[in-house]
Amino acid sequence: MEVSKEQVRVLSEMQGLCVPDDELEQVATRMSIWLTAFEQIEEELGEQMNKVDPIPPVLPHGEIA
Amino acid sequence: MSVPTDLHYLSATDQAKLIKSRDISPVDLVKESLARIAAYDDTLKAWITVDEDLALSQARKAEQEIMDGNYRGPLHGLPYGVKDQIHALGYPTTLGSRVLREEEMVPPADATVISNLGDAGAILLGKQNLHEFGKGGTFDFPYGQPRNPWNPAYTPSSSSSGSGIAPAAGQCSFAIGEDTGGSVRGPASCNGIVGLRPTYGRVSRTGGVMHAYTSDTIGPLARTVRDLATVLEAMSGFDPIDPLSADRAVPPFAEMINGGVAGMRLAIVKEMVAPGVVDPEVKAAFDAAVAVLEAAGAEIHEVSLPLAKWAVPLQLLTADADAASWVLENYLRDRYDLFDVGTRTRMVASSLVFASTYNRAMRARVIVRKQILDAVNSFDALISPTNVSPPKPIEDMAERVDNKAEVVSRLIERRICHYPFSLANVPALTVPMGFSNAGLPVALQIAGRPFDEATVLRVGHAYESLTSWHTYNPELETTLKKAS
Repeated sequence: MEVSKEQVRVLSEMQGLCVPDDELEQVATRMSIWLTAFEQIEEELGEQMNKVDPIPPVLPHGEIA
Repeated sequence: MSVPTDLHYLSATDQAKLIKSRDISPVDLVKESLARIAAYDDTLKAWITVDEDLALSQARKAEQEIMDGNYRGPLHGLPYGVKDQIHALGYPTTLGSRVLREEEMVPPADATVISNLGDAGAILLGKQNLHEFGKGGTFDFPYGQPRNPWNPAYTPSSSSSGSGIAPAAGQCSFAIGEDTGGSVRGPASCNGIVGLRPTYGRVSRTGGVMHAYTSDTIGPLARTVRDLATVLEAMSGFDPIDPLSADRAVPPFAEMINGGVAGMRLAIVKEMVAPGVVDPEVKAAFDAAVAVLEAAGAEIHEVSLPLAKWAVPLQLLTADADAASWVLENYLRDRYDLFDVGTRTRMVASSLVFASTYNRAMRARVIVRKQILDAVNSFDALISPTNVSPPKPIEDMAERVDNKAEVVSRLIERRICHYPFSLANVPALTVPMGFSNAGLPVALQIAGRPFDEATVLRVGHAYESLTSWHTYNPELETTLKKAS
């Protein structure tokens, strides 16, 4: 997924952030990289992901069976 | 017992023996540490705050207790440092940042690990340098650029940088760091010492300023596995204040490291030693390490973790997003310019992860984690290099995100040995396994079952006992002179 500078600008403003123009590209690149990876994860694991709960792996009382 | 001249490079275990036998006093050892900080830290920048008077006063108290026959145990009188992300009364918590105001740096109380180590008689020398807020990728360090004691032109790794440098430079007996995605293991590996990411829940998080709550783990760094086991034992345990602390007995780790690896089933993680992923120098050192373990009677297997590569983006889409939500709400909106550019662009990106993506990524973590748990439960331990490449020159460390060509695979490969075990929250130990051609340390990683640090430490100790890599120390007079 390609994220544009303009999309980052709008989303950042919605979060109350004012990101300087010369840094918008860096943020857009970071987001593009990880969302592209996540598209591949969805492609590979999406069906399995539908069958599990998003439980954080913090299990002080032991693993869930 | 005679007192060696290189007291500062003795193992903590041997230093403790000298203290117990009263051949040296904690005051001697603390003074030695302070002298080495004064001598070398202008260059190494391992420390942010050191309180000589406080440390010496604690040392005199420890000396008196021991003279009175009240020896507390193997950490009594030993000096240590802590990553400046963990609260300790008397020291500001800077987070290695320009963002916090002075009043915001005042710690509310000792972190539980600091209390536990204090109860064991350890002496806190001060707070250690780190990447801003414990995130990696800091460009401009407010408290100075941390440098590798083996060659100050090279990186000491992130983010518990000072906690890796200081024990390696003989400035303290051990250190306490924090590992979200490799921040204990990386610095331990790059500085030629031992480091452990404990099982999540083994060590209380109370008093650590972390906020990537699904992965943040406080862990020890030391010069030998035995030292580390002793520290782990003292710092671990159930903490009713931390709701995610595990109510489990703490094993006597230091008593459990012997026994060797004969008959143990160790598995090399295929994806962590793949050609093109791991540097040939690291691979050669790793192959030699495997041969040592095999010769000692371990059964060597191979295991494939094809989903491990996804640990990197999944951690960044979830654990980083958790941290970013805290940073955003408290600091990022109104103090943006005070952050290092590396931290702020990373936190902005993570703060923009959609809730639906976060939810899906957490589901994917469950699946990836299951593959890792199935593997650690099928063997006594998994082994790999700790880092895929030797430490690099500091000037080459800036993570370029301007070129998207193959960037996903490159960024994944760089972290492939660290993130899977962070995602799975299993224990992972790093021990020195040699040096690169440039003379920088490289390390072996040993990961195990949840709450089975004892086995991981046993494998590490067995390897350490059969090799001499942990006995090498940087010659600071030479390395620092070369740098200047």
